[in-house]
Amino acid sequence: MILLIASVTLRQVGRQRRMLLLVLLALVPVLVSLLYRFAATDDAPDGHIQFASGILATFVVNLVLPLSALLIGTSALGQDIDEGTIAYLIAKPLARWKVIVAKILAGWVLTFGVVLISVVGTGAIVLVGEDGFSLVPAFAVAVAAGALAYVVIFVALSLRFSRSLIIGLAYVFVWEAIISQFITGVRFLSVRAYTVGIADGLTEVSTDILDRSLAATPAVVLLSILVALGTWYSVRALTRYQIAERV
Amino acid sequence: MTTDNSTNGATSGLGAAAPVIGLTEVSKWYGNVVAVNDVSFEIGPGITGLLGPNGAGKSTLLHMMGGLLRASSGSVSVLGEPAAGNPEVYRKVGIVLEREAVYGSLTGWDFVRMNAKLHGIPDADAATKQAIVRVDMEYAQDRLTGGYSKGMKQRIKIAAAIVHDPQVLILDEPFNGADPRQRLHMIDMLRAMAREGRTIVFSSHILEEMERLGDRVLVIVSGRLAASGDFRAIRRLMVDRPHTFRVASSDNRRFAQALVGDAAVTAVELEGGQLLVRTNDYGRFTLEAPRIAQSAGITVRELAPSDESLESVFEYLVAGVRGGAGENS
Repeated sequence: MILLIASVTLRQVGRQRRMLLLVLLALVPVLVSLLYRFAATDDAPDGHIQFASGILATFVVNLVLPLSALLIGTSALGQDIDEGTIAYLIAKPLARWKVIVAKILAGWVLTFGVVLISVVGTGAIVLVGEDGFSLVPAFAVAVAAGALAYVVIFVALSLRFSRSLIIGLAYVFVWEAIISQFITGVRFLSVRAYTVGIADGLTEVSTDILDRSLAATPAVVLLSILVALGTWYSVRALTRYQIAERV
Repeated sequence: MTTDNSTNGATSGLGAAAPVIGLTEVSKWYGNVVAVNDVSFEIGPGITGLLGPNGAGKSTLLHMMGGLLRASSGSVSVLGEPAAGNPEVYRKVGIVLEREAVYGSLTGWDFVRMNAKLHGIPDADAATKQAIVRVDMEYAQDRLTGGYSKGMKQRIKIAAAIVHDPQVLILDEPFNGADPRQRLHMIDMLRAMAREGRTIVFSSHILEEMERLGDRVLVIVSGRLAASGDFRAIRRLMVDRPHTFRVASSDNRRFAQALVGDAAVTAVELEGGQLLVRTNDYGRFTLEAPRIAQSAGITVRELAPSDESLESVFEYLVAGVRGGAGENS
């Protein structure tokens, strides 16, 4: 049942034009990496590691990941709400949590797929054959976790607000990108910080950005709590959801 | 105002057998706007139509019967169970909403099959085939529903709603966008389903659709139950109301004088070059007026009811509801 709803959602969201834009966005760090590879001088011995971790922890985690999760996560269930197809899911003898889990699963797979282009592309160009290659699997796992957290948040937002995209944009660019970077205590409440913290915990590579991050254990614990609470909220909201007719 | 009869499945009073759908003192409001106002009725097997102008509250009522919307007060039950917050009820209930929404990236077959799977039907393929045959859509079942016409979407939606063989089928404006042939086919299909003992409730703002399908009619006006009964009783109620005719003749003044004497005429009014005649007896007046004109040697150029729109019929019923408020509640 969950896989059926998830596969229909994958088709539904995957066909949208925004997916093409997201793939193009995901290719930007890959292109920047190519430029770096051809133009960089080999002055500093760990220059490529600093560059790769910089690109991954800033451009990918700060921009590609939240923006992909936002556009995909708000439409995974939001599209059903906007177009009225949610009736086909609600008017069924079906536990609501299955619908929510299916929607989160589909949104997560798509988001992770997009962000993985950035991570693997950047890693392949900058780090293959180099010392710091362990950054690539570390960030792959970290963005998988970050994608899950973001998608859970955006699915919940789409159930609560009809303008979830705008609210999500404000959250990503004001809270995640600005406030959480400048106020130290806030990083405990930031998916960006959890993501970088998890990446840090999975690699021995030491860089400026990773060293400043949250430790891996609190990152995993807080992210798990966020995912659990967000999913619980969405299940509750969908259980109470009413379809307003358009007179 | 209420025109019940004993054989009626839709009654505003208490029925003898347990009703399939029951509404008790149901109201629904959105902020300060009252969409449904203290409505009670029961619906039994067969076809029941909700008739009323756009915005009367028909959709709100159907959404509540389908458990998709909670009543602000009162209770709505389907097959003896509460309709809202009760997913299990959908094993026996199918719903077709007015919105055209279908999953455009699925073929008709996949769309209906998805609904069968979500219902947990063991042999989803057989159920899908049966439902698609029933709505006569085999020819388009392998095309994407996104490319369907409005009438085709409507039919595939019905197929999706009947794929689990529901005992109760709720349809909101099912004939919107259907061409006359599709409409006839749908009417035959719904009639056949009703003969199998199912309960079918549909809404429409078109009188002719009610006439063809609605054995029992609930007239909803301004969020209230204005009248209920079989279609003929409702029709009579609408025809027996006062009518105004617009008349143009060779001598309006003399015609007016001649008409005043007739029992069917309640008032005449000369307005500019026009003669307005009010009558309480539609049938008698339309028979008598030409005779009176003929005997007075007057040529009638035009004789037309001036308020035959459905809106005016509803206005009349609303006035009745206001006058006799509480009668149906």
